[in-house]
Amino acid sequence: MLVVTSMAACGGDEGTNASAPKAPATIPELTKDPLTLSFIWFDWPPAHALETFANAEYTKERPNVTIKVNTVPNANWHDAMFTQFAAHKTDFDIPILDSQHIGEAVTNGNILDITDFVKQNIEVDAYNPYLLAAYGQFPQAETGKRDENASLYGLPLLGDTWTMIYRKDLIGDTPPQTWDEMISVAEKCQTDNPGVSGLAFHQANGSDAAAVTYNTVNGVYGGNLWDAKSRKIEGVLNDAAGQEAMDVLVNKMKPLTAKGSGNWFIDEVNAAVAQGKACIAFNWIAASGALLDPKESTLGTTKEEILSKLGFATLPSQKTNLVPLGGMGMHVSAYSSEEKQAEALNFMKWFEQADIQKKWAAAGGVPARTDALESPEFLNAGPFNKVYADSVSRMRDMWNVPEYARLIDIENTNVNAALNGAKSPQDALNDIAKEQQAVLDSSSQKGGGGL
Amino acid sequence: MSDPVSLTTDHPGQAASATPPAPGRSRHLSDRWLAVAFISPALLLLLAMSVFPLLWALYLSFTDYSATRGGPAHFVWFGNYTAILASEQVHLRALTTLIYVVGAVTLQTVLGFTIAYLISRRTRGRGLLTTLFLIPMMLSPVVVGLFWRFMLDAQFGVINSMLGSLGLGQVEWLTRQQTALFSLIVVDTWQWTPFIMLIALAGLTAVPKYLYEAASIDRASEWFRFRTITLPLVWPLLLIAVLFRAIEAFRLFDLVYILTSGGPGVSTETLSFHVYKVAFLGFNTGTASAYGILMVLIVIILTQLYLRYLNKLKED
Repeated sequence: MLVVTSMAACGGDEGTNASAPKAPATIPELTKDPLTLSFIWFDWPPAHALETFANAEYTKERPNVTIKVNTVPNANWHDAMFTQFAAHKTDFDIPILDSQHIGEAVTNGNILDITDFVKQNIEVDAYNPYLLAAYGQFPQAETGKRDENASLYGLPLLGDTWTMIYRKDLIGDTPPQTWDEMISVAEKCQTDNPGVSGLAFHQANGSDAAAVTYNTVNGVYGGNLWDAKSRKIEGVLNDAAGQEAMDVLVNKMKPLTAKGSGNWFIDEVNAAVAQGKACIAFNWIAASGALLDPKESTLGTTKEEILSKLGFATLPSQKTNLVPLGGMGMHVSAYSSEEKQAEALNFMKWFEQADIQKKWAAAGGVPARTDALESPEFLNAGPFNKVYADSVSRMRDMWNVPEYARLIDIENTNVNAALNGAKSPQDALNDIAKEQQAVLDSSSQKGGGGL
Repeated sequence: MSDPVSLTTDHPGQAASATPPAPGRSRHLSDRWLAVAFISPALLLLLAMSVFPLLWALYLSFTDYSATRGGPAHFVWFGNYTAILASEQVHLRALTTLIYVVGAVTLQTVLGFTIAYLISRRTRGRGLLTTLFLIPMMLSPVVVGLFWRFMLDAQFGVINSMLGSLGLGQVEWLTRQQTALFSLIVVDTWQWTPFIMLIALAGLTAVPKYLYEAASIDRASEWFRFRTITLPLVWPLLLIAVLFRAIEAFRLFDLVYILTSGGPGVSTETLSFHVYKVAFLGFNTGTASAYGILMVLIVIILTQLYLRYLNKLKED
């Protein structure tokens, strides 16, 4: 740590510029020499799919370019990118950021402002405005909207949201429509099927696992994470709706999960479904492909047999029909060479074309262009893809502010504590609100920041 | 006949510089310069990788510097230090770390010494047994963390499976406040008991045999021999091993990161894990530097007190 901080601290005055540098509006001349364009992402199936897809397709247009998608464990993803940003030197050209990382990267001048580039090269009308805003705009867009005057710093790479995965053979073909109904169906299923838990969902305290679970229930029960305009969290997150959501999560949903599932994230939920150990589960769509692999599943020896038992549906609604916005955008590192930045911009322009987006959909990706989302290539590529298409208008994101990493850690650890009996639900929620508010209010604090 | 060359001198440095260069070496390259030339790469590396970052961290600890936000570092003087010392969050992690260090080191010392004592009494197969016991210590903590994570999994882990076959219920080893810290202590003990064992074994084999022979002649009991011969002679060496383990355990990070991520909630977050979060989640570099410096200071102070006790023990 000492070496990293020293390198960063001695890195010169570049960091004093607190705004992102601008990318050219038109793509500069591209090199004809061999070039490797490097991405950084966390290790999951879409990352490998992207490398295969890009090397197969992009090289048809640019044969001298090799695409390398470097992956790190999910829990190290933020650190891996931002420690390199701190050193003002990156071994990647295209960082794939979570939508909530944009604020931190923009404020620190780590990624290029591509507003002019987008205007000249991207068909913005081809996208749902909120998707375009969620993966690129800063300051953060209001839920469901895009501010056309705001700057853009990224373009969508992979759309995502949660899907409800349910056992058709245990609860029937029709998925529950409301959250309350979902809980009672899961409860009955658990009682009727010893050894199978009613529910499986993310509860771990790493990454954003437990926090996304609470935020989802919070949204469904009509709660809000914050008041973005006044930057108020205390009194908003822990209002009556927020308390009800926490109560539902801890006292009604948690008892329906498997014992020891308090550290489950994407892989563990998938494993429980594939092993036939859960009636209803929630997971990110982009990670659900593994469920259809007969080698990994005890539900069937063929994909068809598995699909006769597994159903995928949009999340049940309750007081609202909000679903969590997942997925990531691609950005251009401010510390890459000009040659590689030009190639990165060219890749982004290529990737966002209608036919390429459809090919990406067919290769297992989740596109963001409306025409690609409605295309048979996408809708027929996976049983959960229609769930994504139907969920786009229902999405809500978390806070996209420079303090995101600390906000999510506070929420994650407290929700995880509540789920595992280390704190009462009410105390956990009040602590989240109090500690997060302190983070937002601490910009003028002299010393001790970060505790 | 020439005078014999003196092999010793009161001023070895002077003698070294006065020594004529070996045949074939440049006359300008004295032994002193040769020594400097050999030492300087390691010295420079040490200065660049350890001393300079340490001094730089000390400087940053008095500022509000952030590695990602950049900009000039403003002096907050002791602001970071007072905030850390007054923080309830830090007190909580300090208590967790203390429980962990005391629990793990005590368990390792008792087990390590017991194993060493039993091995030292064997005449055959001692080498093989020692090598086998040392295997856990040779593994990377990340590897150890990962396979223990699988073994302790409440649903699919081998530990619960064994408990189940004995008719006992499932235990949530890593996700309950009461068991998560205990699990960390057990895993650390599994890996590092061999270290204590190794040092204790060295001490036990160094105990002069004639003492035991004399005790046998006097028909001293086994317990009397252990209490009056073995333990007093091995004790100082054992305390050194305890010191090393306590320092290591104090800065525990990797096992926490892999096994519990500090959970449930923050109940297994150690001081090192918390420093990591302050440094790399919020990139509050100034605060993290002060936090790190305070941890180093605590280790130095406690070590000094401990060494004084050891010296006193030696004098007695």
